[in-house]
Amino acid sequence: MSRKSREGKRRRQARSGQQPPTVRVSSEYRRNIRQADDILSKEGIEIQPDNWQQLALDWFAPQEPERSELARYIADHAHRLGIPWARELLRLEVFFQGEDYEQIIAHHERAFSRYPRCALVEMWVADQVFRHAGDFWRARQMYRYAIEHFPTHVKPHYELGFMSYLLGDFVGALGWFDHAAERVADDDVEMAARILYNRGIVRYLVEGDSKAAITDMEQALKHKPDYPQAKEALCGLRGKMSWVPW
Amino acid sequence: MVDSRPTLTTKSYWIPTKVAGERLFWMSLEFSLNRPLKKGQPSIAEMALSSGSVDEALLGLPSVVPPKIRKEAQRLLRPWLDSRYTGAYGRSGGILNVFTPPWGELQDEVWAEMVAGWESKAFADDRARQEALRALERQWNTTPHPFFAGLSPAQVMVGGGPQEAELADEFLEHLTRLYDGCPFESEGQALVKTLTLLRRWQSQRRKDGRMVLEIIVAERNELMARRARVLHELGGSR
Repeated sequence: MSRKSREGKRRRQARSGQQPPTVRVSSEYRRNIRQADDILSKEGIEIQPDNWQQLALDWFAPQEPERSELARYIADHAHRLGIPWARELLRLEVFFQGEDYEQIIAHHERAFSRYPRCALVEMWVADQVFRHAGDFWRARQMYRYAIEHFPTHVKPHYELGFMSYLLGDFVGALGWFDHAAERVADDDVEMAARILYNRGIVRYLVEGDSKAAITDMEQALKHKPDYPQAKEALCGLRGKMSWVPW
Repeated sequence: MVDSRPTLTTKSYWIPTKVAGERLFWMSLEFSLNRPLKKGQPSIAEMALSSGSVDEALLGLPSVVPPKIRKEAQRLLRPWLDSRYTGAYGRSGGILNVFTPPWGELQDEVWAEMVAGWESKAFADDRARQEALRALERQWNTTPHPFFAGLSPAQVMVGGGPQEAELADEFLEHLTRLYDGCPFESEGQALVKTLTLLRRWQSQRRKDGRMVLEIIVAERNELMARRARVLHELGGSR
């Protein structure tokens, strides 16, 4: 599931306070925290001893399988978490909805280092570290941590596959995409299509196996019929046009 | 009189990150050091190897080359260690690796796994244990590494040659044409786009039917073979 599926009113509100990507100074960080608190306040959020767990779950992980994972984390570490932790998590969610990657990374570094590592949080923050900060190695560690503690989730496997591809490690990428294909839910059509498309490409590059790659492309298009890259790749693999992988 | 000494030419390219710019400079320097001064003559890298003097070999550089570049060249021409080629972490790795965010021993999952395997094994004595470690180091040196885009650390150490330099120019010009002036949301986004383009480009077959990786590996292997010949002629390794 993509976090983008949770965009909406709160995202637009947060966006209005978004700053251009520059080095964040402490005062700017604090200003963004105040803005996040304003947004939470306008939403009528009051974090109390009897609702902090529920709010954390409803805001940060409304859907499965993330919800169960976060619930498990809270149960394991409840004595070290509590209202302050829930407040930081809700702020983080506001920054996610505002797609403010610098603030997401800064907030994760500043606010969460005092709590036990949470695989779910690391998995989502890793995306920003990888795709926006370009810090592949830090993101790689975070995804690996997520896999270690949340092995059933498809996302870190897929992201490590893509990262391996970018590093020029096509064999490694194929392994990660295989793992991702084993884990993706049938109803997660967007992710399933992306995994199969990418696996088909890498399989063709590594093994030269156009039959298997064609099967992957066909499956990708079953999940997502409107997928121009997969259509183009399928034509290319069938030899109907001049085509290069990716 | 024609000055046939090697020259360092500067070109302007769009690059996604500041650190890639620095590595691009190393890459160009590696290419320069491996380029023969004249056809059939040795390169500066080979001269350094055969004379045993980096300073002497660097006399071949034009006098206008600034001290900073000379210092960097000295670093690149240092004799390789007999053990593990850890210097590879600090090389550009050529066009296939120049955009990869810098990494080193801490990130090297391959070496970590090899060491873990070695540590878990029982050996007859300390000598056998050390010999096994040396064998592992040699294995690491010559095995294609996933984080070096399939090059081995030895192939990274030797640097790229004239063919790779041409290929690199081709890619960098293509990259610049495509992305110069494009607004990117972040440095990371620019980096991901660049690497995606690079991997697509390297997967294309050239006129001779070979892929870019195959051309680069073949040239680097040739440079290693020349290096080995020089060392052989000297009657020992350095």
